[in-house]
Amino acid sequence: MLKKKKNNKQTLSLILVVLLVIAMALISFQMRQNQGFEPTPVTEEISPSVVFSIGPLEVTTTVINTWIMIAVLGIGAFFLGRSFKIRPGMFQNAIEFLVEAIRGIISKNIESGDPSLFFPIVATFAIFIGAANLLGLIPGLKSPTPDINTPLAMALIVFVSVPYFGIQTRGLWGYLKHYVQPIFLMLPIEVASEIARTFSLTFRLFGNIMGEEIIIAILFLISPFILPVPMMLFSIFTGILQAYIFTLLSCVYIGGAVKAHETT
Amino acid sequence: MDLSALPWDNIFIIITVLVAGMGIVFGISIPAIGQAIVAMSGLKAISRQPEAGDRINSIVLLSLAMLESLAIYVLAVVLILVFANPMRTFILGG
Repeated sequence: MLKKKKNNKQTLSLILVVLLVIAMALISFQMRQNQGFEPTPVTEEISPSVVFSIGPLEVTTTVINTWIMIAVLGIGAFFLGRSFKIRPGMFQNAIEFLVEAIRGIISKNIESGDPSLFFPIVATFAIFIGAANLLGLIPGLKSPTPDINTPLAMALIVFVSVPYFGIQTRGLWGYLKHYVQPIFLMLPIEVASEIARTFSLTFRLFGNIMGEEIIIAILFLISPFILPVPMMLFSIFTGILQAYIFTLLSCVYIGGAVKAHETT
Repeated sequence: MDLSALPWDNIFIIITVLVAGMGIVFGISIPAIGQAIVAMSGLKAISRQPEAGDRINSIVLLSLAMLESLAIYVLAVVLILVFANPMRTFILGG
């Protein structure tokens, strides 16, 4: 009997919460219509705007948001790095978990070579993209990843670092030989796949975060303050997942270049 | 019948939106079927061999990411169609 009463209470509160949400959505929608507030178009909400320009260089909001993010991350890392103890505190535990996870990704996907050689760039990818995707949740800031220049820059870093690590571990001749490894006909296919995967990395990160932002912007146009909240909660998951996938794929590509062939 | 008297800009926008909507339906649902197949076989493999779970997990995530990029290409094409159509100036004459 008591359990049933509790269940009733729970159902009642759930219904009340749902009704409250619907009522707030309707009220905000009504207020929007009454005040004749003209919402900004979705394209202007998404695309970056030029703040100021130094000569031919145009500094957009993307760049400024990235600077803010880099400053926060750098200062945080500086102070955290000086306060490490033997018995870890709250922040140190989180950082250690992150480092262990990134080490796990590297050691699983790059079989040969020293894992600490690849750790800086892979950890930078993971932390930078994860923070960039989550930056849009802070009011007033926009995440830099829906601008196509940021994912393209990240993908170009992968594109350059793959031959760099390949030449560093296997030597110039050994690296160039893997383009023609079974037969020389593989050369155009290998080169094409190197270029195609750069674009695929770019568009995967760009499209995912861009689609997320557009859905949030459209929900915001329909009814502000209430409807976008579940989608924003979901965007935390998407942002972390995309950072993980980018890290995993860059590890796989670097691992493919580094891998030493058994038959010489 | 005078063809140039028709409201071509309205017709152009309607056709663009229709094509974009149909394109996103087909372009999302077919990769979704592929992702479902990948997830299903990954689940089967893990339940058959739980000790290989870590390795299977990363491979499944990798293939899901690869399949997802197909849907993302469709999304990029649809976004270009709707927001920045390159044919707009060509058809509407600037």
